[in-house]
Amino acid sequence: MSIVPIIEFDRVSKIYPSGSGPITALHEVSLRIAAGEFIALIGPSGCGKTTLMRLIGDLEQPSAGTVRVKAKSPDQARRDRDYGIVFQSPVLYAWRTICKNVELPLELMGYPRQQRHERAMSLLRLVGLGDFSQAYPHQLSGGMQQRAAIARALSFAPSILLMDEPFGALDEITRERLQLELLSIWAESDPRPTVIFVTHSIPEAVFLADRVVVLSPRPGRVQRIIEVNLPRPRAFETREDPRFFTLLTEVRECLRAMEG
Amino acid sequence: MTIPQPLDQPGRRADWWRAIWPAVLTFTLGIGLWEGVVGFFALPLYLLPAPSQILLTFLAQPGYLLSIGAVTFGNAFAGCVLGCGLGVLTAIICVRWPIIAEGLVPLAVAASAVPIIALSPLMSLWLGSISPASKIAVVAVMTFFPTLVSVYKGLISPRADALQLMHSYAAAQRAIFLKLRVPAALPFFFNALRVCTTLSMIGAVVAEFFGGPQNALGVYIKSQAGVLRTREAWSAILVACLYGLAFYVVVVLIERVVMPWNKHR
Ligand SMILES: Nc1ncnc2c1ncn2[C@@H]1O[C@H](COP(=O)(O)OP(=O)(O)OP(=O)(O)O)[C@@H](O)[C@H]1O
Ligand SMILES: [Mg+2]
Repeated sequence: MSIVPIIEFDRVSKIYPSGSGPITALHEVSLRIAAGEFIALIGPSGCGKTTLMRLIGDLEQPSAGTVRVKAKSPDQARRDRDYGIVFQSPVLYAWRTICKNVELPLELMGYPRQQRHERAMSLLRLVGLGDFSQAYPHQLSGGMQQRAAIARALSFAPSILLMDEPFGALDEITRERLQLELLSIWAESDPRPTVIFVTHSIPEAVFLADRVVVLSPRPGRVQRIIEVNLPRPRAFETREDPRFFTLLTEVRECLRAMEG
Repeated sequence: MTIPQPLDQPGRRADWWRAIWPAVLTFTLGIGLWEGVVGFFALPLYLLPAPSQILLTFLAQPGYLLSIGAVTFGNAFAGCVLGCGLGVLTAIICVRWPIIAEGLVPLAVAASAVPIIALSPLMSLWLGSISPASKIAVVAVMTFFPTLVSVYKGLISPRADALQLMHSYAAAQRAIFLKLRVPAALPFFFNALRVCTTLSMIGAVVAEFFGGPQNALGVYIKSQAGVLRTREAWSAILVACLYGLAFYVVVVLIERVVMPWNKHR
């Protein structure tokens, strides 16, 4: 890629100390991600996907190598509020209504009350939760909670979205609908945020991403990067496109080759 | 594209009744049984008066009994405010400086299991047996430890991901405390407070057994029981129950207002 990367990994390793000796989660990972790209991270369980995402988000520090985000340190990027994070679980605060949960980042960033309320409401309508703004998290289903978490991550229009298996706990139908919603929100944002999307699902990775980054089993390395040249906007029909199947097979075989 | 799903909006009165009827039934049955046993075995008055007799005794001088109850309740309330307040304050200090927590919290857990009421005679010795200070001190010590333990647990209850969310927004320590730790600790705080309401009334009454002004519940109960005026003693116990119950109910009502999200848990 010729353009300046927004996220750059330069021979990044991550070693966790543990009772039974150090665990190398990532080994000399080098990776460049362009602004506005939708990246899917896939790999066998325990290969370091979450670790990689957390290194970007300044939730972990590399043991060796450097991570640069917008030519800054991840710590600086975090202080500049460049990250919207969606964890695997919704992590909504039980004492806040859905609307107040979505407002939380705006509140911390000092937006005026009226403005943050309007912003939160428009995002909740966008994710189909307009009628539930005054409900408490426990009154919502898992999928609805996850949508609220996505609305919260989008609320302050961060330039980078880090999503760790956000749809992992959902049923297939809800999952496919949320994938479409996410893509349309992403496509309509101006400028488009850069998305790092961790997933276990091959179809999900191919359906969403511009590039699928396949990590090898521990210690995690970038095994392959697969360009997804499917046209956008993607729709339900995309899944019936022969090229979609070709790509699925490609990712699957890449994952399987590593097992053997 | 919303999934229609009813929000909790139950018929509130029916709900309230459903929650309370087993307790009402048990209470009525218990009182009935007591009344029946006393009548059937013709128990002498000095041993165990029937509930109806206790009530009549209370009604003979409700003003006096309620006024001495107010004195005792005043001590219970003051002690509870002091103990719980200091408990909350100490819990905050423990969260701020974990090294203090490491030393203090295990001790507090142990102290919560100790019958602190046993300190009463000592408190009377140190602070004077007639003065309210010794009663307030007993109640304060009794309520301090459970509040400290509970609130501390509540303040450190947010899980790693809830904290990391704050971290990702570069939230200030102050904001993390006020917008995450404090609301997370509220249910723990109110749990402690509910226990402390009953604890404080017990503490205040028992502390008065070891001395106090004439117009106090504990002193009255002790002197009446001492001359086998059991009905009078029981009517004072009834008053202690009324104050304790009222205190408890007020706390529960405040809890409902302060934590609306917890309503249907
Ligand atoms: N805090 C930690 N302390 C010690 N080891 C850790 C820690 N976090 C992760 N690891 C180890 O690092 C490796 C990579 O973990 P990571 O969570 O990044 O994997 P993952 O690819 O996200 O796995 P999964 O798909 O199961 O979520 C694992 O072997 C794990 O045991
Ligand atoms: Mg993971």
